[in-house]
Amino acid sequence: MLEITCNDRLGKKVRVKCNPDDTIEDLKKLIAAQTGTRWDKIVLKKWYTTFKDHIQLQDYEIHDGMNIELYYQ
Amino acid sequence: MGSNNKKHRDRESRKRRHRSPSDSYEDSSPKEKKHKHHHKHKHRRDKDKKKDKNKYNYISDDSDIVEVPVEDNVQKSSPQRTVNVEEPNTSRSSESLSIEDTNKLRAKLGLKPLDLRPSADATSSSNGSSRSKDNKLTESKLKDDWGEFYHKPADNWAVKAQQEKFRSKLAERKEKRELHNKLSKVKTLGESDEEEDAVSWVDKNRKIEESKKEAERRAKMLEELDAQFGIGEVIESEERERKNQQYTSQNLRGLKVDHDIDDIAEEKNIILTLKDKGVLEEEDDVLVNVNMIDDERYRKNIENKKTKNIYNQFEEEFDQFGNPIEKSVLSKYDEEINGLKKAGFTLGSDISFEARKQQAMNEAVRINLAKKKLERIADTDLKLASEYYNEDELAKFKKPKKIRRKIRPKSKLLSVEDLEKTADNEGIESIGSRRPKYKVNPEDFNIDDTADINGPIDFTIDEKDGILEQVLKAKKIKHRENMVGDMVTDTLVKTEVKEENVDSGSIVLNATAEFCRSLGDIPTYGKAGNRDEDEDLEMNFENNLKDENSSDEDVQIIESSGWNSVDPNETRKIPEVVPQEVQILDEEPDVSKGMGAALKVAMSKGYLEKEDNARPSNSRLAHLQAKHYSIEDKVYGDDGERGGRRGDRYAGPIQDFKEREGFKPNVKLEYIDDEGHILNSKEAFRYLSHKFHGKGPGKNKVEKRIKKGVQEQLMKKMSSTDTPLGTLNMLQAKQKESQSPFVVLSGNKQTQNTMISKVSRR
Repeated sequence: MLEITCNDRLGKKVRVKCNPDDTIEDLKKLIAAQTGTRWDKIVLKKWYTTFKDHIQLQDYEIHDGMNIELYYQ
Repeated sequence: MGSNNKKHRDRESRKRRHRSPSDSYEDSSPKEKKHKHHHKHKHRRDKDKKKDKNKYNYISDDSDIVEVPVEDNVQKSSPQRTVNVEEPNTSRSSESLSIEDTNKLRAKLGLKPLDLRPSADATSSSNGSSRSKDNKLTESKLKDDWGEFYHKPADNWAVKAQQEKFRSKLAERKEKRELHNKLSKVKTLGESDEEEDAVSWVDKNRKIEESKKEAERRAKMLEELDAQFGIGEVIESEERERKNQQYTSQNLRGLKVDHDIDDIAEEKNIILTLKDKGVLEEEDDVLVNVNMIDDERYRKNIENKKTKNIYNQFEEEFDQFGNPIEKSVLSKYDEEINGLKKAGFTLGSDISFEARKQQAMNEAVRINLAKKKLERIADTDLKLASEYYNEDELAKFKKPKKIRRKIRPKSKLLSVEDLEKTADNEGIESIGSRRPKYKVNPEDFNIDDTADINGPIDFTIDEKDGILEQVLKAKKIKHRENMVGDMVTDTLVKTEVKEENVDSGSIVLNATAEFCRSLGDIPTYGKAGNRDEDEDLEMNFENNLKDENSSDEDVQIIESSGWNSVDPNETRKIPEVVPQEVQILDEEPDVSKGMGAALKVAMSKGYLEKEDNARPSNSRLAHLQAKHYSIEDKVYGDDGERGGRRGDRYAGPIQDFKEREGFKPNVKLEYIDDEGHILNSKEAFRYLSHKFHGKGPGKNKVEKRIKKGVQEQLMKKMSSTDTPLGTLNMLQAKQKESQSPFVVLSGNKQTQNTMISKVSRR
């Protein structure tokens, strides 16, 4: 289990617990459940890499306590 | 962080709000809040708990550890982590669900529940206590799509090295053991001796001897048997036959041997083999000794090293008998062109004869040489060396002949017949004469011709003669004088004729004489005698001149050498130097004599320039100028090239250019002064410049110029032979007055002794 912090810099900051073998899509759904936005409107980024939906967190080497940028499309 | 601060502020403000109605207990409000919060979700969580407990039992214990409320008692100044945990409760922006909530949510979304086993990531961040223990397990274990697996641990190099060491040690030991085993079986020398004692040795030897005897006996028996059956005879006959068939010298007859017969030493067996040759070559067999071939090659190598390729065409080489070897042109390449010449012989035929012949010849030559040597030894009789030559030797000893040509036969007096003869033979005899041939005519005799004078003078080139020779010469001269004296008594005609004879005889133009003549009065200070000799010669010339002038009686023959020959008997007339009237000053040509004289004066004074200079340069050098060239032409060419004519650049000239025949413009620019003087270029420039600028020269300059002009006039009027002050005239007058050939230049009494005399010279 790992806990990730997602922050759009507009006032929403969410901490999400998830498994390393979850996909980005799952993460997005979790975030959506916590924040109340539609999951398909969420874009997750780390610097300039936009995370793709079908790839697992461990493949992106996302570890516990990492910060991920949260954007909306 | 900014956001955090904000949160704090928010919280505090809320606290204040809460505080105002109730008591001042600080911790209570958050606690309550927390509880509240928990209460909010309580009913849901309880439900989940029940469900979870049914499904995943393993979670239950761990969840307590991670449970947030435990940390609630920690102070506010605790690390950020606790704050973070707290935050989701307090702030509305950042929220974190508990595991149960998350699991519920996940279940809703259709995801599997959170994996609560302490994974690598989870342990590293969440609880450090169990980290070290779990590390070993989790590090080696890896999960993949194909399942879980462990990495093979890396080899320990140290252990490996140690093992290797042990292994090699063991191998070494093993080898040693094997060697030892092997060697232990071998008996040493001492051991073997021990084993074989004297008795056994004797036995062994006896056995050997017996076996030998047995073999002999057997052989004898067999022989006897053979004899009985008559086999021995058969064998003998066979042997005889074989001998007959042997390859003897008869068979070898005609075979060629490739070595010189001298190389094959007598009474020595040499094995000859057939020389190798090509399969297709159809040559006779040649016998060769391998060792001798090697020797020859070796000899040749040495020879090659010795020669060093020096080109020695003119050096004669001799064979062993002293006869010169004839060499062809570039003989050193003969071997390469024609192949090696090999001295060979054929077996059988005529070796002995040829060899004998050769040997006889050699012998003869050798004897000859020996004889020669003997003779030579007999010839040279040893003698004590003496410091002086005896008379015979002197006679033998040849002095280098002096180059001396006697023109005049001394002892013989000429007669008329002789003269006639000479006249007839003149064509032949007077080869060296420069003068035109003429009949014998004494009156014609030209005294001034120096070639004649050369005749009687006798030059000896050899200058380093001894005193003795000088004495001899003196004697000779005396003798000649006597003869001359006799001759003087003869008739005048005779002497005249004699003179002619001298002339018509060969006139010798000695190189030395010519050189001396040409030297003339150049002073040479190189050798002491040299200069004197020259003077002597000159004097002699003069003397001869005088003599011939007067009566041609006294004929002097001078031996010229480093020594002056003096004739004590002769009282020579000292040639009187006739004091000639020498004019120091040239006569000024008299203008009144005629036009020519006047012109001469004008020329010498520079009134008239020579015509050569006056002629305009153009006509004078016309032949040097380019033939078809005029200035116009040049201009036209330039124009065409530069495109100077704008209008008809491409039209070209309207008319063909006509060359003017023989056009040689004679241009001479002359600038003439206001007074009518002809100006030179400098003056002309100045004149024009003044005119151009409208500003004349200054007063001083004008005066100077006038002065200059006056001086020039004076110069022209001046006598051409004397200084302007008439110094020479005065000098002459003074001399005349004092009646001395010199003039004392300084009037001082002290210096009167040193007088510089001026002697008039021819």
